[in-house]
Amino acid sequence: MSSMTKETQQRMAVLQGTLDMLVLRTLLYGPAHGHQIGKHIQRTTNDFLQMQHGSLYPALHRLEKRGWVVSKWETAPDINREFKYYRLTEKGRKQLVAEESQWKQMTEAVARVMWPASEEG
Amino acid sequence: MKWWPFTKRNADLERELQSDLALEELEQRERGLSSEEVRYAALRAFGNPALIREQTHEVWGWAPFERLLQDLRFALRQLRRSPGFTLTVVLILALGIGANSAIFSVINSVMFRALPVENPRNLVVFTWTAQQQLKYHGHSSFGDCGSPGSDCSLSMPFFHAVRAGAKSFSGVAALAGPLDINFAGNGTAVTARGEYVSGDFFSTLGIKTIVGRPLNLSDDSTSAPPVIVLNYGYWQRSFGGDPSAVGRVVRLNNTQVAIVGVADPRFAHLTPGKTQDFFMPFALVDRVRSEWWGDEDDRLSDPAIFWINIVARLKPEVSISQAEAEVSGIFRNQVLHGATPLSAPSAAPAVSLLPARQGLNGASAEIAPLLNVIMVGVSLVLLIACANVAGLMLSRSAHRQKEMATRQALGASRARIARQLIVESVVLSITGGGLGVIVAIWGIHALVQLISNGSAADFGFEVVLDWRVFAFTSAVTFATGIFAGFAPALRGSRVDLTPALKEGAFSIPATSRTGLRFRLGDALVAAQVALSIVVLVGAGLLMRTLNNLHQLHPGFDTQNVLLFGLDPKTAGYTESQAVALYGNLQRRLAALPGVVAVSYSQNALLSRSTSGFDVHLDNAPPKSNVLTDVLPVGPGFFSTMRIPVLAGRAFTAADFNSAVDTNAALAKAGKVSDKRPAGSPSLLAPVPVMINPTFARRFFPDRNPVGLHIGNAQRDEPAKGPQPGFLIVGIAGDTKYEGLRREVRPLMFLPLVQNSAHFELRTATDPDELVKAVRSVVTAVDDKLPLFAVRTQAEQVEQTLFQERIMSRLASFFALLAVLLACVGLYGLMAFTVNRRTSEIGIRMALGAERSRIARMVLRESLLLVICGLAIGIPAAALASRLISTQLFGLRPGDPFTLLATCVLMLGVTAIASYLPARRAASVDPMRALRNE
Repeated sequence: MSSMTKETQQRMAVLQGTLDMLVLRTLLYGPAHGHQIGKHIQRTTNDFLQMQHGSLYPALHRLEKRGWVVSKWETAPDINREFKYYRLTEKGRKQLVAEESQWKQMTEAVARVMWPASEEG
Repeated sequence: MKWWPFTKRNADLERELQSDLALEELEQRERGLSSEEVRYAALRAFGNPALIREQTHEVWGWAPFERLLQDLRFALRQLRRSPGFTLTVVLILALGIGANSAIFSVINSVMFRALPVENPRNLVVFTWTAQQQLKYHGHSSFGDCGSPGSDCSLSMPFFHAVRAGAKSFSGVAALAGPLDINFAGNGTAVTARGEYVSGDFFSTLGIKTIVGRPLNLSDDSTSAPPVIVLNYGYWQRSFGGDPSAVGRVVRLNNTQVAIVGVADPRFAHLTPGKTQDFFMPFALVDRVRSEWWGDEDDRLSDPAIFWINIVARLKPEVSISQAEAEVSGIFRNQVLHGATPLSAPSAAPAVSLLPARQGLNGASAEIAPLLNVIMVGVSLVLLIACANVAGLMLSRSAHRQKEMATRQALGASRARIARQLIVESVVLSITGGGLGVIVAIWGIHALVQLISNGSAADFGFEVVLDWRVFAFTSAVTFATGIFAGFAPALRGSRVDLTPALKEGAFSIPATSRTGLRFRLGDALVAAQVALSIVVLVGAGLLMRTLNNLHQLHPGFDTQNVLLFGLDPKTAGYTESQAVALYGNLQRRLAALPGVVAVSYSQNALLSRSTSGFDVHLDNAPPKSNVLTDVLPVGPGFFSTMRIPVLAGRAFTAADFNSAVDTNAALAKAGKVSDKRPAGSPSLLAPVPVMINPTFARRFFPDRNPVGLHIGNAQRDEPAKGPQPGFLIVGIAGDTKYEGLRREVRPLMFLPLVQNSAHFELRTATDPDELVKAVRSVVTAVDDKLPLFAVRTQAEQVEQTLFQERIMSRLASFFALLAVLLACVGLYGLMAFTVNRRTSEIGIRMALGAERSRIARMVLRESLLLVICGLAIGIPAAALASRLISTQLFGLRPGDPFTLLATCVLMLGVTAIASYLPARRAASVDPMRALRNE
């Protein structure tokens, strides 16, 4: 871990913080298993967050430990195979709302500094 | 979810990850890569499964356990790779912890154990003091109060007064003994040890019986049927634990008594170390008497005979000082204002109450110096062991510097490395501790065997492993082990990586830090040498003491003499019958083949029993007496024991007849009041006596004492009856009497005409072969007469030297251990040094130094260390040996010969220990050494 460059480390820290939020948001649509969540985030961000989707799993288990998601092995609807599906809990939903608002506040604050609203007629 | 078992959770995670990977592979395959490349591409997209697993474990909170397990496995592997080191350290730890726990447990049981009765804490024992000597008629002590200045023998009327009148106690009991009693009715007659107790003894102390009933107050009256209670150990040994023993009738000194119970196995004796075979009520004292008591003694009602111990239970609301005041008043009343006042009021007689545990210390006072020696020895060895372990670990850690540097380079934090080293130390310590338990248990067993071997009876103490002691010594050793493993971890983790990786541990020390570590190793070895010197000197002094005692000539020939004792009075013999018996036995025994000579005396020489009384020298001022040792002997004593007669003559048959007559007349006169005025010349012949040269030198310094008269002791009251005095007929050579250590005192030999006797048979060959024949002779004369204390004189001598022998043996054992440890430490250090300086040695050799010069260099270094150790150790030993000065004989503490011998020994031994490293240094191949750099 300590052999990574500082830049990568910083990016990872930000990533880890927001990763939880992204996962929760993804699950808002409905239950999904780890692979699906990873692919979804990858697609939706157009591969910007170069994350190896295996690293979702520690995050998923962390969310499960905190009680924001629950997991269960279920058979996939189309393929005859079992996957571990994660679902959002009520607590998770509340946490998502909280993190969402926090993120909005932060981005708005940053935006205000970066691009001060010019008074235009 | 969180509490799923580990394997299940891990399997679940594994399944999850595998299914994801499978999906990923499927997607990659759609891109049309070969199956090899598909696998790698999937992994690249997925990530590092091992890392993911680790991170998930960390989320679950398993990380610390995993790290610990990893550390443990690594530690075990590392320890297995250096078996010599591991074994040595574990052994040293086990010995240190085990030996210390054993000795401290024994000390604890002997010195500090709680009394085996109910509620021992509020039991007190009565002791008394007075400013002047009390004029009592008799005083017996049975060794219960070992400390000087405290006398715990009191009179029976006092006990009754306290029991009746004192309000401070919820129970008062008395005990006396044990006495040697003739015990018949269970097989052959034997001598058993009986303890007199008051009727409320069992109830006051709360001792129960496992069979039958205890003694009670109704048994303690002269009109009650005589009963006794057996001691558990005696019941097992002599009655085979047979419950039908209760109710059986036996004979004590020809008095019939019934056995009514067997005492609880947990109760051995009130005074630690003393055991008895049975308990009898005081009411039996007139019928079952000790041979030492005068026939006229009324032990039950004479307030001037002090012979019983009193213990009492304090009432909870009463303090000791209140109780003391109360009983002191009763005591003063009795002593000063009773029917026979024993003293003037200025004597201020008073009673003090000691907590029973403290007051009754009996045998533990005797064993104490032995135990102290052991304790000091073991502690010193433990110190050396700790230093050794620390030194070993330090040098080992220096070896691993390279390994530490590599690990740090790979990313381990300092805490991680330190933790791993600590785990190693803990594993070592726990293994050592586990073995230490075994060593401790075995050690206790061995120690008890060792100490009790000298005494014929039970050890009398119950020793169990004291867990507090074990915990303490373990903690000390663990702390040493952990610290010793940890300290280099601190140092090792701050090492500058690059030079450490390049040079390893094997080049010239560049940093001052490694230099410091080296000096610490030096200091440890020097300390070990110093401590070993102390132990060695102690051992040397004790061994020489034993040798001195062995070489001592006691004044008679100790080889090939068989001893045994007889107590005819307990079998019902009168004095004249006893004398006839002795004569008869002497004739019969002398006729046995293999017997050179037979005689008898009141005490066997060197058996710790002595007798003595006061005599008045004819020219001395009136009422001033001198004390002399006394030994009544039978005919032929001096020739049997090969004691030379230096002047005059030995006793003849006429002497014995005269003594018998005098004795009979004295006995008769004692019974009838003599109307003769005091001091008038006696018509009885004086008793013929022989004296030893010490007596002659001290009391007749400038005259020939043969033919002179010595008078009976003169007391303050006028003498009752005839005072024939003694007539010196000869001088026999000086002999040791009580034991080998005590200096020769003035000794007066009398013809033996009363009491028990110890027979001495001089044999042509091994005395043990004649034991059976002797027994059959005695049984043929009277089968109700028990023999006791059958042994050879040589064995007797060994018995008196028992403690010295043990101390010498133990001290030598410790010394050996200490030297061994010090050598191991020195060897380890030297080996490490040579290893470390291999390249330096290579350079020296390349520059032209000869091998012998290198070897000498190494030896010089080790010599320097040892000399440092000696410089500290010799003065320390000289000081420490003062602690055992009371144990020495024929030597002063700080004896220069012993010190010198120890120095030489130490130098020699350490030279051997450094031989191997020196040789290794000399055989270094300079090419290889330089190439290593």
